[in-house]
Amino acid sequence: MSGPDRPDRPGRTSRSAREESPDRLYTVTGGRSHSDPKEFDLVTLVVSECSPTITMQSEHAAILRICQSPTAVVELAADLDLPISIVRILLGDLLSSGRITARHPRSTATDTASSLPDPDVLKQVLVGLRNL
Amino acid sequence: MTPEEPPPSRSTGERSNTPASHRVTGTNSRTALATLPAVLVTASLCLLAASLAPESARTGVAWGGGAAAVALCVAVAYAAHHRLVARQLRDALTEEQIKAASGRAATQHFAEVTVPALVERLREGASAESALAAEPAGDEQQRRTLHLLATEIHRSESVRAAAMAACANAAGRVQAMTTSMAADLRDMEHRHADQDVLGDLLHLDHRTAQTGRLADCIAVLTGARSGRRWAKPIVMESILRGAMGRISGYQRMRLHSTSSVAIAGHAAEGVMHALAELMDNAANFSPPTSEVHVYVEEVSAGIVVTIEDGGLVMGDVALKRAERAVSPIDWELPSHSGTRLGLPVVGRLARKHGLHVSFRPSAHGGTGVLLRVPQELIVHSWPQSDAPAAGAPTLEAVVQPAATPAPAAPAPAPAPAVTEVRVPPVPGEAALVPEEGSAPADSVPAESAPAGSADPADDLAASSPFAVPAQPGLEERRTEAEPSHPAERPTKDRQTLAFPAVAPEAHGQPADPGATAGSTDPAPAPTDTPSAEPAPEHSGMVEYGESGLPKRQRGRTLAEARRPNSAARAAARANQPARDPSQSGSRFGAFRRAVRDPQAEGTDNTPPASPAQSPAPPTHASSRPEDDSE
Repeated sequence: MSGPDRPDRPGRTSRSAREESPDRLYTVTGGRSHSDPKEFDLVTLVVSECSPTITMQSEHAAILRICQSPTAVVELAADLDLPISIVRILLGDLLSSGRITARHPRSTATDTASSLPDPDVLKQVLVGLRNL
Repeated sequence: MTPEEPPPSRSTGERSNTPASHRVTGTNSRTALATLPAVLVTASLCLLAASLAPESARTGVAWGGGAAAVALCVAVAYAAHHRLVARQLRDALTEEQIKAASGRAATQHFAEVTVPALVERLREGASAESALAAEPAGDEQQRRTLHLLATEIHRSESVRAAAMAACANAAGRVQAMTTSMAADLRDMEHRHADQDVLGDLLHLDHRTAQTGRLADCIAVLTGARSGRRWAKPIVMESILRGAMGRISGYQRMRLHSTSSVAIAGHAAEGVMHALAELMDNAANFSPPTSEVHVYVEEVSAGIVVTIEDGGLVMGDVALKRAERAVSPIDWELPSHSGTRLGLPVVGRLARKHGLHVSFRPSAHGGTGVLLRVPQELIVHSWPQSDAPAAGAPTLEAVVQPAATPAPAAPAPAPAPAVTEVRVPPVPGEAALVPEEGSAPADSVPAESAPAGSADPADDLAASSPFAVPAQPGLEERRTEAEPSHPAERPTKDRQTLAFPAVAPEAHGQPADPGATAGSTDPAPAPTDTPSAEPAPEHSGMVEYGESGLPKRQRGRTLAEARRPNSAARAAARANQPARDPSQSGSRFGAFRRAVRDPQAEGTDNTPPASPAQSPAPPTHASSRPEDDSE
């Protein structure tokens, strides 16, 4: 009922913009559809370790250019207009060739700060902000 | 001569029957006429001889003379008659020969002119009746022949046209179906993150693309219009990948393309399809484990795409046949067997788009195919909104070697202007600058000469599809406005001056180039001259908020906002960390206190609490509304 309708609407609007490229996704990844899910999750921060070269696949070059400052995987996917899984595969290529490094923000946060604000504190902050 | 002889003789034999009586009477009278002088002469001679002869011999002479005269007359009559007959027959013979010659000419005309013209008329779509009316036939036989011919050809022609139309129609439907299926699959691929599902979707996507290529083949061969049209130029990498994605062995393709040119939208589909057929040939006729290499080379006559496989070497005959199959002239569908559609399709597409295809032995051991795309189909620009992939890397590659300090101009040029820039691939820097904006060039020497190595990277990156013009001048003004507290007065002035320049940037950035150019151009002129001296270390830097995080201007992408130059970022960091921890700590402490004091709800306790901690926060609290308003 409303289930098929709801995803159809935005799909249709985004299709017109997205459709204007003859690239198919399997050509972007060379036919691969699987990547190591442990390497990258949605918020893994990616930093490029070298600048893009002219012989590179354009998506790789774009990733390297975007990731000159740390960028989350999900933002990369949004910037490139590619599905997350495809971006993960591309990132896996770059990671295996050492062109990027990946950091999981949670692990670094627990390493350095070891004190993530718990939800209670955040709620209190919210209350405090409203009180201001 | 011999085959021509019998008919006239026979015809004279037949024909002589009808006017025989007339001819016989004619000859008789003329024979009598010719015999009359002989009769008169011989009769007079007989009379003379009889009168002169003596009496005794007179009877004998008379009888002898009479007999001789009669014999002579008969002989003369006979000779005259036959001479006349012979002359008449000779005349009749030449007459018949002339008739036969004209009949032959008519037959020849019928075979060489009338029938072909009729056939051509029918092939052009005329009906049998109109074609027959246009071609007057000579006699009844020819007319019947023509009629039969016309009806038969017209029927077969209409059947053929109907079959072609049916094929074209079916192919068009399949094309539309595969196009929409591909779009649906693309949507699904974006929606489903599960890797197994994605793998299946990609597999289906590939199959759909192959189906689409088959439909395209049929459409091309039946003369239907090509499957789809692209609204904008397609960059070479996308062309190659689009072609690659339509064949079964795409994973064996190795693309070696550094070209940044694009193919005009109306021809992109045809070029892609032709490349797909050639790639498919290369993949099919090479070992399944070998790779097929695709190179792109820019030449003065256009673009040459070379597809080299390591498979079978084509012999001379095969090469010639292939060349003939793809030659743009002299294309005919029935001359090809139905199983090998690829090369005829390429030939047809080549004729349509002016492509040039040639074959040669490959250095890889197999066959190399060269496809040359003419210059008319090539667009030397970087598409802006979509296909971010291909324009970008070459842009970067241009920037790296060409980062000379001198021509670095800030890039207030609106995005649409960049598409107009025709730049040769490598020495592009020099050509970019004068076209992007000549107005800001006068503000260049003061600010960008020291920091030139940083600036061109920014401004070329700004023209890349991912970014929006960076406007180093504005950023510089605003970054210096924040940390430099001592210069209160000029800071205020510059901020107020900066407002009109920022506002159109946020609102009308892609849509209204005139507004952006018009508002940014006057802005640098007055403000850059006073701010020239503190500029150097901050130029081209990204603006930072008080919390130390980079701020993003509205309308700019995150990627661009988060791309500070490392040196500039270090400088900014060096300026800020002294106050950052204490300030943020005090502010957070104020929040905690506000939360903890339930009775401090009505009156705001934070301003009284924070000045006791540090003098800094009030100024920032007062400066925050300004930031928000921006």
